Amino acid sequence: MVNDKNIYKPLRAKLKDVIDESPLIKTLVLIPEKQFSFKTGQFIELSVDGIGEAPFTPSSSPLVTEKLEVTIMKTGYVTEYMHNLKPGVFMGIRGPYGRGYPVEKFFGKEVLILGGGCGLAPIRSLLYALEAIKDKLIKVILCYGSKTPTDCIYKPLFNRLNITEKFEAYRTVDKAEEGWDGSVGVVTTLLNKIKVDIKNSIAVVCGPPIMMKFGTIRLLEMGYQEDQIYLSMEKNMSCGLGKCGHCMMGEFFVCKDGPVFTYNELKNTPDIWK
Amino acid sequence: MYYLSITKEEWDIAVEQLLLSYTIFAPVENEFGQDYELMRPADISRISYNKPKPATPLKNFFLPVKENVTTQPQSDKPRIILGIPNCDIQGLGILDEIYLDKDFNDLYYSNRRDNTILIASDCFGILEHCHCLSYNIKPYSFERADMAVIHRDGMIILRVISAKGEELTKKIPHVQPLTDGTIISAIDTEHNKTEDLLRSSNKGLPDYSSTGSLVKKANNEIWEKYSSHCVSCGACTTICPTCTCFLLIDKPGFEKVKQMDACQYPGFERVAGGEDALFELHNRFRNRYMCKYVWKPGKFKSLACTGCGRCIEACIGKINKNELFMELV
Repeated sequence: MVNDKNIYKPLRAKLKDVIDESPLIKTLVLIPEKQFSFKTGQFIELSVDGIGEAPFTPSSSPLVTEKLEVTIMKTGYVTEYMHNLKPGVFMGIRGPYGRGYPVEKFFGKEVLILGGGCGLAPIRSLLYALEAIKDKLIKVILCYGSKTPTDCIYKPLFNRLNITEKFEAYRTVDKAEEGWDGSVGVVTTLLNKIKVDIKNSIAVVCGPPIMMKFGTIRLLEMGYQEDQIYLSMEKNMSCGLGKCGHCMMGEFFVCKDGPVFTYNELKNTPDIWK
Repeated sequence: MYYLSITKEEWDIAVEQLLLSYTIFAPVENEFGQDYELMRPADISRISYNKPKPATPLKNFFLPVKENVTTQPQSDKPRIILGIPNCDIQGLGILDEIYLDKDFNDLYYSNRRDNTILIASDCFGILEHCHCLSYNIKPYSFERADMAVIHRDGMIILRVISAKGEELTKKIPHVQPLTDGTIISAIDTEHNKTEDLLRSSNKGLPDYSSTGSLVKKANNEIWEKYSSHCVSCGACTTICPTCTCFLLIDKPGFEKVKQMDACQYPGFERVAGGEDALFELHNRFRNRYMCKYVWKPGKFKSLACTGCGRCIEACIGKINKNELFMELV
């Protein structure tokens, strides 16, 4: 059956709250005018009226449908506008788009999650989804790295996870600040501290391209198979519909075929880390 | 599929009658070549039949350069596009796959497709860069169009292809079933002549089944060499019947304007963080070839290059993709 819905028209959503996460990162809490649901790892196109639109993976729980949280790093023209918005304004949402995390494939396994910087946003949504099905998982380990302790987002999340059955969370920073007594070093250094049954495990990597690259290389060295590593790719998804061509990465439309891929699917595609 | 015939005089009168209920576009020749024009009664006698090929591609009728895609799609007067070469008819295949996708149907595109009758025109003769046959596209339409038209010896022969085409013939008075087999065989002879011209003009050119592997294994020197004359103007993508990339521009009131875009423009793949997989000119240049001959063929059933040769004609840097392919063979 042909869908007669206008695929380009956004759904309006009221900005309820703006949460400061770090000097460069804020979380926008949105109340969509109609019920809006998504699968963890899928993304939305979020727009500022008359200014522009950009793709984000929601950071809130996929089980909550009356509100939506989007964590945004100030990196360019549109995100700067987003950071300056005040509660009460309306934003536009299109989506959800793409292929999210196949959580049903994680059943009976250990889940190792490697996150960097603002990459913790999609991961937080995944963690909410995994908490809801923790009976079906062996354990979940989060390893997260930020540039400095100040740049670390969702700080209360780590304590909460560490008191949640089957969950472990570790943090590191590239550069320590006064008062920081935790790990210092890139996120892959945390992998030396954890115990994981690699054969019965899957790994999820989400963060800046350079971190995804070296994270993947390290996981492969540890013995992970290419199809055990899930990557959340970041490209210039403009339409989200597999049409506009901006997010083409080799034969893939990242917006439609991804944004979540196994490394096995992408290993022969050039320039995936750019 | 079957043939009908009508005298040219009666056909011109019928086209004038059709103007009352349809907007009609057809190719007209001028000193620079030929292109589609909006028909008024006085223009009907100027329609160019069976000559390759309008300067602009058929896609322009379905994908305007710029359109607001959040306002209600307009229900325009039904359209007839008359005199379309088969390369352009077959080029619609990939557009249909992309825009009539079952998950994300583009209402603006699908309304225009539903609202348009496609009348193809068999090509008798070739232009310098025509190479449809290399990609297994015949220079005449037997499918995908609604009808095809042939002008010969004061007669118009109609090849009726689809139900939509058959419906249109009911609005054309005086059409007769074509019973004269000699006319059909004369048309076949013309087809064969055109195919012979193409074969001799395209000698040595790789076909669509081998272009993919050639492009894939081509080294950087090839892309650097051929892109050294490229100025990233995007003429090749703009004129291409199968290039469909676009940009969505936000306007106040959550309106979106869809504007045709091109992977040849700098910044096409740049993300907010600054990474740009197509930053270097030779990578952008290579991207278009990879897209048409490697990636799209792996993803879609329809061809992503129809051999129309317009990208060669349009290039101000005189880059000839067929010379590039010959060098790769």
